[in-house]
Amino acid sequence: MTPLLPASSNSTETSLIHDLLHAESPSSASRASFGDRLELLGERLHELADLSGRLVQSLRDGRTDTDLADRFLTVWREAVRGEAVLELFREVERERQENQTLMEISMKLSSSSAIEDVLHTILDSLRQVVNFDAAGIFVYNREMGQLEIDMLVGYEKSERQKLHQKFQEGVKIGHGIVGTVIQTGQPIYDPDVRKDRRYIAAREGTLSELAVPILLRGEVIGALNLEADRMDAFSERDLRSLTTFSNHAGVALERARADRIRLHSRRMQEEISLARKIQASFLPTKTPDFAPYDLAGTNFPSSEVGGDYFDFIPITQTDMGVAVGDVTGHGVGAALLMANFRACLRIESRNNFTVRAILSKVNDYLYETNLPESFVTAVYGVLDRQNHMFSYANAGHNPPFRMRRDGSIEWLQVGGLLLGAFPNVDYEETAIRLEPGDILVFYTDGVTEAYDSAGSEFGIDRLTSLVRELRDLPAGEMVRRISDSVHQFQMVDSVQDDLTISVIKYV
Amino acid sequence: MKYSTGLKDGIVVFALKGKIMGGPESAEFHDELKKAVVAGQHKLILDLGEVEWMNSSGLGLLISALTTTRNSGGELKLARATDKITSLLVITKLNSVFETHSTVDAAVASFK
Repeated sequence: MTPLLPASSNSTETSLIHDLLHAESPSSASRASFGDRLELLGERLHELADLSGRLVQSLRDGRTDTDLADRFLTVWREAVRGEAVLELFREVERERQENQTLMEISMKLSSSSAIEDVLHTILDSLRQVVNFDAAGIFVYNREMGQLEIDMLVGYEKSERQKLHQKFQEGVKIGHGIVGTVIQTGQPIYDPDVRKDRRYIAAREGTLSELAVPILLRGEVIGALNLEADRMDAFSERDLRSLTTFSNHAGVALERARADRIRLHSRRMQEEISLARKIQASFLPTKTPDFAPYDLAGTNFPSSEVGGDYFDFIPITQTDMGVAVGDVTGHGVGAALLMANFRACLRIESRNNFTVRAILSKVNDYLYETNLPESFVTAVYGVLDRQNHMFSYANAGHNPPFRMRRDGSIEWLQVGGLLLGAFPNVDYEETAIRLEPGDILVFYTDGVTEAYDSAGSEFGIDRLTSLVRELRDLPAGEMVRRISDSVHQFQMVDSVQDDLTISVIKYV
Repeated sequence: MKYSTGLKDGIVVFALKGKIMGGPESAEFHDELKKAVVAGQHKLILDLGEVEWMNSSGLGLLISALTTTRNSGGELKLARATDKITSLLVITKLNSVFETHSTVDAAVASFK
């Protein structure tokens, strides 16, 4: 279990070349470069030429130097022995192959291929230079302090599942061969995994394992791991090849990480845009004709999706449901809760129960389906254009107001608790008689709690005086002017709330 | 938002500070409150005297704190709610659900 290769890394063959190399300097021989070894062979061939020259000369001289002949034959036989020559050619081929595959990998890496393709290429190409039965690419998730599997080859399905499960349960840095390599940044060669207690068995038949760290700008980001079904299957040369490949894997993994983040955020963006479109479709696009009443409303979500809601729900020829609501929080969670509230309110309002019964039912439904900390504040009422009555109940919402022709104000506060937080809530309702010139104004706290750069609030007084000022304008124009002035008031980079306002005028 | 936990006459007093607007700090506080409830503390007080501001998520936190306490047979009372928070409780009608006291001592006394 030495971290480096054992000395007997080469095969047991006893070719001339190997004998030569080992005879010269056993310790440095295995590290002798291919060029050095070729040079030694050249020297041997020179010796052969020399011997043959001397042999020919002695024959011409009529002498038979048997010692010389024996020596020549020995050297000649061994020098041309297939194995030795083949070994040399294998080395040449392997070197050429490795250079070519490295070039292919570089090209793949610089193209825009998917990460899985690139990692597959790395392992496939590695197979052409190193003989292995299984391989894996592992990455270190620093945030979680855990290792993750990025790619496995050579594993049976059941073995793959077993390993994935082990990693899901959490393989920490320092755990197993791969975890140790990632912790120390040093390669490990295990000629016999059965003797290494760190080895996490997942694959049938593995006997030796070679793992190297994957480095990126000097930092260990993962490990590349090879397994073989033979003992002592890897050489020092394999270690060098694996290290070269792991450097490429580092670059690929880095790119993969960036790609995944980009893809993820693009998907999120697409989904939020879709949510925005769906949500926008919930709001009335065109305010219904409901003479002699002039209706209008507007909504500005603070982020792409919001938690405010307003609606005009035609119930009968003479009755129009009017709703304004604000759900807890902002963003997607709020939007989902809002969709739920809207669906429920619309269904219940069509049944034409009393307003208080509708709110009780909506409350119970929301209570059953929502998280305990989320709720909705809302006002729901029914405008009866025949009898000019507005029956409403206020469920914990900022009170709407009625402004009469003389400018006096009346708050619509009758109702009960906000919706969805507690079960079995009873609501009170009341009906007000409307007079020509009356204006009903509904809003969310995004209007009254808008802050300017000095930290002062837009406030309810500013809203009521604005309505008084704009009272002769059509409802649509009033709504537009009010939201404009809130936007102008508001500090540009302040934390903004969803903003909703709707107006009913008895013309 | 910050909070500190104290004990007064055997009653747990959580003093909340700053802006209460949901997020991870709120979740952390709620976990702390759950721990107290699980440990058998059934009389809890939230001291809101140092709370600068509260949005709807903050109200959500008060509601879930109350629900957690009541589900285990306990009671949670509010103390020293500022005018701003009081008006929020009035608008949302949560004042019909929460018992509020002008001082922590009064809230403690009300448990006896």
